[in-house]
Amino acid sequence: MTATSFPAAYRNCPVTARRINLQAERLIRVNAVVSVVALLVGAIAALLLVLTRWQAVHLLPAVWYYRILGVHGMNMLIFFIIFFEMAVLWFAGTVLLNARPAAPRYGWFNFGLMLVGSLLVEAMQWSGRADVLYTSYPPLKAHPLFYLGVILFAVGALGVVGQFFATLTIAKREKTYIGSMPLVVYGAMTAAIIAVITLVHGAMVYIPTFLWSVGLIKGVDPQIYRLLWWALGHSAQQINVAAMVAIWYMLGALTVGAVVLNEKVSRSAFVLYILFISMASAHHLLVDPGFGSAWKIVNTSYFMYMAVLASMVHGFTVPAGMELGMRLRGYTDGLFGWLRRAPWGDPGFSSLILSVVVFGFFGGITGVTLGTEQINIIAHNTLRIPGHFHATVVSGTAVAFMGATYYLLPLIFQRKVAFWKLAKLQPYMFAGGMLLVETGMTFAGSFGVPRRHWDISFSQAPFDVPFNPVVDLFLAMIGIGGIIAVTGALSFILIAVKSVFFGERITEFPQGVDVVGVPQGLTRPPVHATNADEINAELHAPGHGKWGPTPGTVVLVGVFLLAFMLYYFTNWKLLSFLWKIG
Amino acid sequence: MDPSPDDSQESVETPPLGQRLFDNMYLLLALGLLVMFVIFTAWGMWEILSMPKSTLP
Repeated sequence: MTATSFPAAYRNCPVTARRINLQAERLIRVNAVVSVVALLVGAIAALLLVLTRWQAVHLLPAVWYYRILGVHGMNMLIFFIIFFEMAVLWFAGTVLLNARPAAPRYGWFNFGLMLVGSLLVEAMQWSGRADVLYTSYPPLKAHPLFYLGVILFAVGALGVVGQFFATLTIAKREKTYIGSMPLVVYGAMTAAIIAVITLVHGAMVYIPTFLWSVGLIKGVDPQIYRLLWWALGHSAQQINVAAMVAIWYMLGALTVGAVVLNEKVSRSAFVLYILFISMASAHHLLVDPGFGSAWKIVNTSYFMYMAVLASMVHGFTVPAGMELGMRLRGYTDGLFGWLRRAPWGDPGFSSLILSVVVFGFFGGITGVTLGTEQINIIAHNTLRIPGHFHATVVSGTAVAFMGATYYLLPLIFQRKVAFWKLAKLQPYMFAGGMLLVETGMTFAGSFGVPRRHWDISFSQAPFDVPFNPVVDLFLAMIGIGGIIAVTGALSFILIAVKSVFFGERITEFPQGVDVVGVPQGLTRPPVHATNADEINAELHAPGHGKWGPTPGTVVLVGVFLLAFMLYYFTNWKLLSFLWKIG
Repeated sequence: MDPSPDDSQESVETPPLGQRLFDNMYLLLALGLLVMFVIFTAWGMWEILSMPKSTLP
């Protein structure tokens, strides 16, 4: 079949020469657009929150602080992320595999369920009938429509995941790819499997809670609720991790011609995610009295470390693949010549590198430390926890998703990226602001400042709770960083909205030239040097060097491991101040 | 030694066992659900439900 003889249900991508199913493309578009709308709501909420936690400003009254905190959590952690992940599943299943989508009309039905569900949740939260925060722990009770909204959203998402599996089955049966599925699709499949684990637990917790809210059952056991809810609430973030890593591999290939160092190793790491990462949910229950130490330690310090190992594998293979890819393009000078010559002005690349570094150095190290049962006692429910998960979910996942968007705008929406200069700056602005937020939260939390707390000055309380005065500095850091980060998020939304709805249409990608509004990976695809085989043989020669073909990454990983050890053992030292032994 | 045409044909038709296992998404889905439900969910539920009830003072 020639490229021009596809039926009208498809179009050809001028860059990748892949055929793109138009129905799948529309589903990608609507999911991405709704995701950005949720990001807008969540970002406005974020601004109100940081300006309240910043004690010198203290913007919102108590009721609105907690209401907006719930809105922020649902929009950022659920709606923004999961709508985007639905777009990723449609993209990976159909575009990357050259496949037709399974039952696309049913895809619209599922999208409708998710949309109606999210609108119900928004309506209940904004009207003050669901002031139960993101976790909605009983005996706090929301309006039944809140729980119904969550259930509808989850059912729709589960439906899309089912369609993704069906699409993969169709692709395999119709032989649209040969051998194993591509690694990026494998990562998306991992995310989809974790989504099933997550959403099944979601059904187990929210259906009884809904029945309780309408009076059909007497009550919900708060401890069982917490167990099941965190298998939803934390595992939902593990879907993000898998999807984010898949996007790392994709952006690495698109922006700098990254290679996959070893398919077996990378796929093994994804399988470790499937088997063990959801157990990280137990982190949230480490100080709960109902569970024994064996359950806590097996879940968070034995099996969960298999998932940590997987993240460290990806944390090595992604930058090492980028380094090797750059060296094979001829950038072979020194330890970090490949990094200096990287396309730092490409928002896809800068997002990728910022996501990898902050997720690994900040999110990963703090996550493992906080997930240690003994150390958790000095960190639980302090601002250290949001300090950690903003580094993973926002600086890691959201930044990666933003980077992918800069490539999806021309490829899927067929529009140039608007406000190109701003787009080049946006990842740095957003990630820089978030780094300030995360640092402020982590240090404030280290001084005992609680999370989810409207007023740590306890101004009307009958007792005095003094904090070290330095916490005001860290809370101000959260406020200032938050303003910068929200400006970065709003810039991204502005760029996305202008590009999608009013952007300049682009259907041809001239090669070998820089085009304003088009990331360099699309007009200057990162091809390997003509003597790449020679370079590769030289890099892998026994006498090449003790640190192998990717010495720069080995050094960076060494720095990471040193930072990890330092932070981990510092926390044990801090714990020893609390628990006087001997 | 270079593989003979027959060998390469065979390797195309039958991937190694590990690759076949990794490519089986339904198996991975089942294993993912099983491990989580046994180690986290069922064990955790058992811990809660087997707690003795506290006596009122």
